[in-house]
Amino acid sequence: MLIENPLNSSIYAFPVLECFHIVGFTLSVGTIALVDLRLLGIGMNHQTPAELADDMRFWTMGGLTLMLVSGLLLFSSDPDMYYLNMAFVLKMVFLVTGIIFNYTLRQKAVLPGASPGLGKLAACISLFLWSGVLFGGIYIGFIMEGLSFSNL
Amino acid sequence: MLLSLALWIQATAFFTYLRGSTYSYPSILSLHMVFLACFGGMIVMTDLRLLGFAMRKRSAADVIEQLRIPKRIGLLFMVTLGFLLFACKAEEYYYNIFFRLKLIFLTLVFLHLLLFRRGVLDEVPQLDTTKRLPGRVRLTAYLSLLLWTGVAICGRGIGYIEVPWGIHAKLPDSILALRAFYR
Repeated sequence: MLIENPLNSSIYAFPVLECFHIVGFTLSVGTIALVDLRLLGIGMNHQTPAELADDMRFWTMGGLTLMLVSGLLLFSSDPDMYYLNMAFVLKMVFLVTGIIFNYTLRQKAVLPGASPGLGKLAACISLFLWSGVLFGGIYIGFIMEGLSFSNL
Repeated sequence: MLLSLALWIQATAFFTYLRGSTYSYPSILSLHMVFLACFGGMIVMTDLRLLGFAMRKRSAADVIEQLRIPKRIGLLFMVTLGFLLFACKAEEYYYNIFFRLKLIFLTLVFLHLLLFRRGVLDEVPQLDTTKRLPGRVRLTAYLSLLLWTGVAICGRGIGYIEVPWGIHAKLPDSILALRAFYR
């Protein structure tokens, strides 16, 4: 390699970045989940889903930014390994689907006139997609340690 | 005493099974993360509201009140899942410095609740009409953010500690005998 990634020259860089990654996903997935739970009738029911989504928008976006920036940096520490890691690939599929879903169909599902049934469906899909992202993130480390999906 | 408790719990049939099962530990850990996002998100948004950064159009007391029950349920799941993770590998966790630190942070979180719940958080409804909540309320929120961030960071740290199994060679015979007994 011509240029050493500065991230790999300190043993603390990766764990510290991971902590930022955790804060980022807590903010983004946490605020998305609050709206999903509201669509399901759990939690912040004194606001309409539209009002709640509006309150959360800035924090979801901020959390996503922190999560993506720290995630890209984590990825850059060992790109080939991640590329070959099945859990990582699945995580990316869930992540891209989750982000697109969040800013298209679910955005429509929280609008005032939207049908509550569709809202509940959108909430379940959203929670499923983001759980997939988190499961993928955890399984990356276990696949690195030798876990294989082939005997599932 | 605590160590022998740890050795006993991880030797029970259930936790021996969980430890041996390939997908249980990573899946429980993943679920722990899902609840971290949901439960942590609720805590962060409550604190950000108290600090006046988020949900400014809603009353702070209303935000606290609506999230009280969901937060309790979230905590219950977090603790249960966390206990399952701990009990699978109780002996390793016993030695893990980050696990010990995490327990200290959780104790501080509990003390934080005892100290500030009645005096500060319960008076939020009366203060809600003010544009900016008083300093003691904001201090409570800052402390909560700080302590919970500590819990999360220590949680991540646990995975980084490789228990040097070699040290057991230097452990007193009484502990080695206990280990052998519970195996």
